[in-house]
Amino acid sequence: MKQEEVELISRCQEGDQEALREIFNQYRERVYRIAYGVVRHREDALDIVQEVFVKLFRSIGNFKGKSSFYTYLYRMAMNTAIDHVRKTKKFPTSSIDVEGGVHPSDAPETRPDRILIDRELEERVKWAMDQLPDDQRAALIFREVEGLSYQEIAEAMGCSIGTVMSRLHYGRQKMQKLLRPYVREGRKA
Amino acid sequence: MRDPCTSLSGLLERYFDRDVTDQEKRFVEDHLQDCQACQDELRSLEELQTLLKVPVDEAARQEDFAWVWQKIEREIQAREKPSWRESIRAWLGLFFPSRRRVLIPAVAVALLIIAITSPLFFKETPSQLDSSVVVYLESDTNNVMVYEPEKENVTVIWLFEGPDKESPT
Repeated sequence: MKQEEVELISRCQEGDQEALREIFNQYRERVYRIAYGVVRHREDALDIVQEVFVKLFRSIGNFKGKSSFYTYLYRMAMNTAIDHVRKTKKFPTSSIDVEGGVHPSDAPETRPDRILIDRELEERVKWAMDQLPDDQRAALIFREVEGLSYQEIAEAMGCSIGTVMSRLHYGRQKMQKLLRPYVREGRKA
Repeated sequence: MRDPCTSLSGLLERYFDRDVTDQEKRFVEDHLQDCQACQDELRSLEELQTLLKVPVDEAARQEDFAWVWQKIEREIQAREKPSWRESIRAWLGLFFPSRRRVLIPAVAVALLIIAITSPLFFKETPSQLDSSVVVYLESDTNNVMVYEPEKENVTVIWLFEGPDKESPT
C-alpha cells in the first residue's frame, strides 16, 4: 500500500470524516460498478454504495492492512450487494418469467423499439445472473466488469486462484446457456 | 455450432483473461487461425463480457455521486447522536459500570422494599371500614356487651357485674 493510502486509512480509523470523503471520492465509482453489476438497478446500486461507505466508516478499525485496501473494500461491496439481492428476492421486480418471455403489459407500444430491446436484454441478463450461485456471480463481476486479475479476485474472495478459475469457467458456461439467444453457446464441459 | 475443440482446454479462457505466458499466447493464436470452434468460443466469451460490462459502464458514466456523499454524511452524523434510550443507558452506565450485575439485584431490592412498605400506605382503618356488630344489654345487676367483627369468626362478650369489674369470656 502507498504511504498516502496508509495515512488516509489511519485517519479514517480515528473517525476523521474528511478522510472517509477522500476514500469515497477515490472508490465510489468502482463500488458502484460492483453494486450495479450485481443488482442491475440504478437506485438499488446507489443505496448499496451508501451502505458500503457507512459500513466502512464503522468497521474500518478491523482493517489490519494484511490485504490490499481495495480488495477489502471490494469484498465488502460484493457482500453488501449480494445481501441486498437476497433481501429483495422476496419481492422480485423483474418482468421476465422463468421461460424468459416479457409480459405484454410490460411492453408499452409507445417506447421506441431500441429501448425496449435494451431493456429486455438487461432484464434477461439480470435474471440469468440471479440464477448463478453467489460465488460464481461474484467471480464473474470481478473479472468481466471490474477486470480484476485472478490473483486480485482470489484475494477479494478469500480463495485460491484455481477456485477462481473454476468459478469463472462454470459461471460463464451457465450464463452462455441462459443467454443463448443473445450469446452463442460456448464449448460444453 | 461446431463440435467443441478440446485442444486448448482451459487455455482459451486464460488467454481471454490475459493470464497466459508469451509462449502460451503464441500457441493459442496459432491454433485460432485454423480452428473455427475455438474462434466461436472466443467470440462467445467476448459477447458475454459485453453484455455484462457495457450497461455497467454506461450507468457509471451517467452517475453523479455528490448527493450520495451527502446522504452518507447525514447517516453517519445521525448515528453519532444517541437516541434517548441510548442516553439513559449511557447515564446508567456511569453509575453502574457492569449494569447487568448491579441492576438486577437493585431492581429486586426495590421491589422488596415496595412490597414491605405498601401495606403501611394502603392500610385500612378498621373503625371506619369494618361494619362490626355491637350489642349492649343493660339490667339492674349486670351489663352485657357483645362484639362481632365482620371479617373474623370471633365473638367477644363482656359481662359487667359491678360498676368497676370487667371480664371478657
